[in-house]
Amino acid sequence: MDPFFLEALVNGILLGGVFALPALGLNLVFGVVDVVWLCYAELVMVGMYTVWFLYTQAGWPLGLAFAACLPAIAVLGLLLHLIVVRPLLSSPPINQVLATGGVLFFLQGAATLVFSTDFRSLGVDMPPMEVGEVFVSGTKLAAFIAALVGAGILWAFLKFTYVGTAIRAIARDREVMPLMGVDPQKIYLIASAVGGALAGLAACLLVVQLDVHPFVGLSFGPITFMICVMGGLGNMLGGFLAAFLMGLIISVGGFWGTTEFSYVVAFAFFIIVMFLRPKGLFAR
Amino acid sequence: MQSNGTSRRTLLQAGAGLGLAATVPATARAQTGPARGGDPLRIGVMTDLSGPFAGAGSVPLFQGAEVAIELFNERGGVDGRPIVAVTADSQSKADVAINEAERLLGQERLEVVTGIYSSAHAVPLSGRFEAQRKMMWITSAIATAVLKDKNYRYVFRPTVHSDQYGEGSVSMIHEHAQSKLGIAPDKVKLAVIYEDGPYGTGVAAAIEANAKQRSMPIVLKEAYSASAPDLSTLVTKLRRERPDVIFQVGYNPDITLFLRQAKSGGLRFRMLIGHGAGWSQIDRLWDTFGADVNHMCNVDPAATQMLDWSKLQPGIGDLAKTFVDKFAAKHQVRDLPPHASMGFNNTWIFLEHVLKPAVRKTGGLSADALREAALEVDIPVGGTIQGYGVKFEPPGAAMAGQNARSIAVVMQFENAKSRVIWPTAIGVPPVLPLPPGHAYALRS
Repeated sequence: MDPFFLEALVNGILLGGVFALPALGLNLVFGVVDVVWLCYAELVMVGMYTVWFLYTQAGWPLGLAFAACLPAIAVLGLLLHLIVVRPLLSSPPINQVLATGGVLFFLQGAATLVFSTDFRSLGVDMPPMEVGEVFVSGTKLAAFIAALVGAGILWAFLKFTYVGTAIRAIARDREVMPLMGVDPQKIYLIASAVGGALAGLAACLLVVQLDVHPFVGLSFGPITFMICVMGGLGNMLGGFLAAFLMGLIISVGGFWGTTEFSYVVAFAFFIIVMFLRPKGLFAR
Repeated sequence: MQSNGTSRRTLLQAGAGLGLAATVPATARAQTGPARGGDPLRIGVMTDLSGPFAGAGSVPLFQGAEVAIELFNERGGVDGRPIVAVTADSQSKADVAINEAERLLGQERLEVVTGIYSSAHAVPLSGRFEAQRKMMWITSAIATAVLKDKNYRYVFRPTVHSDQYGEGSVSMIHEHAQSKLGIAPDKVKLAVIYEDGPYGTGVAAAIEANAKQRSMPIVLKEAYSASAPDLSTLVTKLRRERPDVIFQVGYNPDITLFLRQAKSGGLRFRMLIGHGAGWSQIDRLWDTFGADVNHMCNVDPAATQMLDWSKLQPGIGDLAKTFVDKFAAKHQVRDLPPHASMGFNNTWIFLEHVLKPAVRKTGGLSADALREAALEVDIPVGGTIQGYGVKFEPPGAAMAGQNARSIAVVMQFENAKSRVIWPTAIGVPPVLPLPPGHAYALRS
């Protein structure tokens, strides 16, 4: 096999890892709370700033900065639910979307106010792995492995814990579960915190790959939404798999055609999927 | 870039970032200084103070213009009449730029708007200004397409255009190919990667045309979105094609993303040449990459501190020094970015050589009077702080409204500073290829 094509394939899989975590978090929240957090990429942006600040300004060790980022963004997710989402739970979906869209602009503006529009870099890099003529970015590989581990922990949490089971149950039927003694408000809070923590984990993985600035969410936010819809909004496994599919399409499409062409292919594929399977590629 | 206590700027940025700039009436910001003798003269200043362009040169562009207006007012304005800037933040979005321009011309009833960082904004805006017969004074946006074959009468651009960028970078490599690279010029393999807006497309087309003219092979020419989350496949393709020299035309964060992924993807080359915008933010690049960007090159009009001021026209060296001192007192930078010089210089040209004579002649401030004054400007080479002269192409010319005396230079980074290496007559000898041991240098 052409080593350069093989490298493009590997790049596609690693890129899928970048998209997978935000897609998981977004799907978790939507699946449980039934509200789309339009500002999800901005939560990731806040997480990236958190790591950058703690590591480069406060002088914390990187591992500690990462460890602090997860609970910090989990709390942000909680606050988002308590302050913005909960009062609108019984409102029409468009109100909820507009409200979380407002949070998006608020967070971008707040980041501009606090950090200015400068691009901030962590300055951390890992040496690439070289196998024959194939180069694999050490940073991206580490991020990919961390994404898989994070997804695995989430799966175990949902599968083997009482709270996880309740979350899955609510996601499946939010009408019946309250009749069986599950407090949906409590589950919404937990799901929002876990969704926030996933945004925090995504931030840790992205901040070593991208410069952070108030509008960094534009780089991956829209495509994350597309992946969630393609995998089936609320379907965590579907979103996870769709992330890798999208990563491969972009990477291989770019290799055979051009970088711009790869996005044309990706969006065309998305439109076709929407026509053929409106509820998503992996909807049950 | 760090700023030391520029609270007004910070507040403006904050307001803009929060979306306030688009929704509240413009704040007329009187400039300090002794010019208090008459009715103020109001001009628009539109730049991107938020969004991705802010970090790619638009903020220093604004800051340079701000210093020019302050200095002009300190020196008495126009016979005591101060300049008042009505500012607008186009937020790195073309639709916002169009709405803000409509507001400045309609609600604010301005006759002229200066600034305009991005070619993606300048292209749709220029036709609107022309239709409304109001002056658009472009201080940064460089795409040739903004003016070429348009025959605009109210759109003027004192700075360079994209064709000059291609000429600069390709000529520099062509001139030094044999002596420095040990390769015949027609055997030097070039690659062009560029953001897919009018700016990137315009410069890339100019690079291609200049390379063809000199029979230099382009092994890869590819566009990408400046907000692309990943460029690793582009890196893979570049590695496959093994170019000697890579030309990049980008804003930010695409430049830093590319450099980072190029390093981790094992991409090596003899030279990388950027073309303004994000590549002119050497402070930022140095903060991010340190010595990894040493000896890489950039094409843009020269920042004033790169020039020998003693060789400029009488009085211009003093003006340059005043600007540098004032700018450095307000903003902490290692090396003034070219956009700061562009913002100051092109605003100063407008105030001193266009607005002042127009107001003196007519007693008021109308776009028609400004236009007439602009067409009469005749500044020799060396007559501005960026070294170039000013003479606008007249109506009917292919590039009507373009400064025919603008000059782009190729500069090379060295320890967070830039030095001119082309045109060869005024530049120092370049370091070419990237020296052994450089993070991106070809391994022997």
